[in-house]
Amino acid sequence: MADPQLKQKVEELIAENPVLLFMKGTPEMPRCGFSMKVVQVLDAMDVEYGAIDVLPALQPLREVTAEVADWQTFPQLYVNGELLGGADIVEEMFASGELAEALGVEQPAEAPQETEQAQGPPAQSPPLQIE
Amino acid sequence: MIEAALPGAEVEVVDETGAGDHLRATVAAAQFEGLPRIDQHRLVKAAVKERFDDGQIHALSVKTSIAPG
Repeated sequence: MADPQLKQKVEELIAENPVLLFMKGTPEMPRCGFSMKVVQVLDAMDVEYGAIDVLPALQPLREVTAEVADWQTFPQLYVNGELLGGADIVEEMFASGELAEALGVEQPAEAPQETEQAQGPPAQSPPLQIE
Repeated sequence: MIEAALPGAEVEVVDETGAGDHLRATVAAAQFEGLPRIDQHRLVKAAVKERFDDGQIHALSVKTSIAPG
């Protein structure tokens, strides 16, 4: 069973952040190719989002998201309190324009950039910490 | 297994590494109609859960589409 305190914290974060990404690593330094892919898509959408690095508490967070959203793998992108999907779904929805619709933004003209560093800081809130 | 869980679905499974434990499944099913993608993926993953639990599969990437019913 998931840790009730951690579960409550996660539920609060999901409720408080209209766009919330659980990922391995940080948006500046993703530690997994799938997480990096979602970060690139979100940066291309120019949308503000909260990001949580799951690596410090990977197994407890898996247990929590299994209960909260019936999903155990990361990354996980939550939009308006609902799990939208992992990297596969986010990429597919980005390609089809459904992601822009879900986020309420315009579909960007360009594909996500592999190298974001030269374009200055992406639009995002600072990483959130799970204690 | 996926076809058993989603009768009538068109399923294609590709072994990505040749080792049989990293698979890519493309599933077209009429049952997906009206479901958000996350729920479509949940259906596919639930269908093969046993194989994850017994360790025969380590990774499954899923691509779903709605088949005409």
